Amino acid sequence: MNNDLIERYLYAATRRLPRKQREDVARELRGLVDDMLCERCGDRTPEEKDIRIVLTELGSPQELYAKYDEDAQKCLIGQPYYGTYVFVLKIVLACAAIGLTVSAGILQLLEPQAWYGAVAQWLAMLWQGLLSAFAFVTVLFSIFYRKGIKISEPFNFDDLPPVPQKKQEISKWECIAGIALSVLFTVVFLAVPQIFCVLITEDGGLLPIIDIHAARGTWYIILLFAACGIGREVVKLMEGRYNQKVLAVTLAVDGISALLAIWWLLGFDLINPDFLASMPVVFTGSREFALWIFTNFQRLFLGVMLLALGINAVETSVRTLRKP
Amino acid sequence: MNVEETVSGLMQELRRGTLILLVLSQLKEPTYGYSLVKKLNASQIPMDANTLYPLMRRLEGQGLLKSQWDTAESKPRKYYQITPEGLMVLEKTKEYWKSFSARVDALLEGTV
Repeated sequence: MNNDLIERYLYAATRRLPRKQREDVARELRGLVDDMLCERCGDRTPEEKDIRIVLTELGSPQELYAKYDEDAQKCLIGQPYYGTYVFVLKIVLACAAIGLTVSAGILQLLEPQAWYGAVAQWLAMLWQGLLSAFAFVTVLFSIFYRKGIKISEPFNFDDLPPVPQKKQEISKWECIAGIALSVLFTVVFLAVPQIFCVLITEDGGLLPIIDIHAARGTWYIILLFAACGIGREVVKLMEGRYNQKVLAVTLAVDGISALLAIWWLLGFDLINPDFLASMPVVFTGSREFALWIFTNFQRLFLGVMLLALGINAVETSVRTLRKP
Repeated sequence: MNVEETVSGLMQELRRGTLILLVLSQLKEPTYGYSLVKKLNASQIPMDANTLYPLMRRLEGQGLLKSQWDTAESKPRKYYQITPEGLMVLEKTKEYWKSFSARVDALLEGTV
């Protein structure tokens, strides 16, 4: 009966040790418990209470196991890999999310379905894909960590970049917001352009402002536009500061984006012709102003986009070239 | 800040740092774990058996100790003894400890 408690304790403490150590450790600990009991009880036979006291002194089986297990202090991914792991993970997840979003958009183009169905499909793809990307990066880095594979170049003083001025630092959130905006732009124009609509009060129907087919027909421009924006943000994310490289990429990307916007908004009729035709019905009040806005909608929209791109280019230039 | 807690944590750190040195120094003759626990306790250096036993096994894995089961007695016991490599490590660490602790003492007493 007494031995039963000791054996149960030893089994619990050693069962997760490597098989070849298990019996040896248990045998040694059995001797230790026996010695401790002798010390405690002298010549009298140890009682259950004595055994409990001695085993309590040794600590819980889990604690004892942790002291024997040489891997107890290890973790899945520790330093110096953890920082790089988190950094790579974020970028991979962002890219995977973008890639999946693009594929969901294309899928919707090829096999159109109701917008809620498309959104559900997109979410399902995101969930599955991001989970796989997470698992892939995590497994990769846990192998790096276990095997101690070197992933960074040997340290060199000359490679240390100068400390960025406070105003030259690029916020991580700024880049993530930029990527998210690009993704959103793509999804909206490819998958659900009909969310831009007006309510026609007379029969209660919804009238889309944008011609869905015309907008989807220009999918390659939309994708190029999004890819440009995402590329720019990823470069900013990697560099982490405004420098010549970020400036060059930003100016190039903003220039290309401006050309794409001009091509997109001047080269195609994207406004729903039904909407234009029914405008006199829809707008009863300040009709002429509304009419002017929507007839020139594409040009106005182009103006806004060019203004935004211009501001972005100027801001990046100023922040890069500003003297500290 | 809890002074007691901080002090006990620091003392534990100091003990931990000297543990291996002490264990190696006491294993010139074959010794089993519990007798070493009692010996250290008698020298006012208390060490828990649940720390010492896993430690000796680790040192054996590193080749600093070797072990042998003695089954001739009524109780089978595992005896540990220092290896030649362990002896070399012990000598060098001992040298370091002597000069290091002397300098620490000098600093603490303000004699430098």
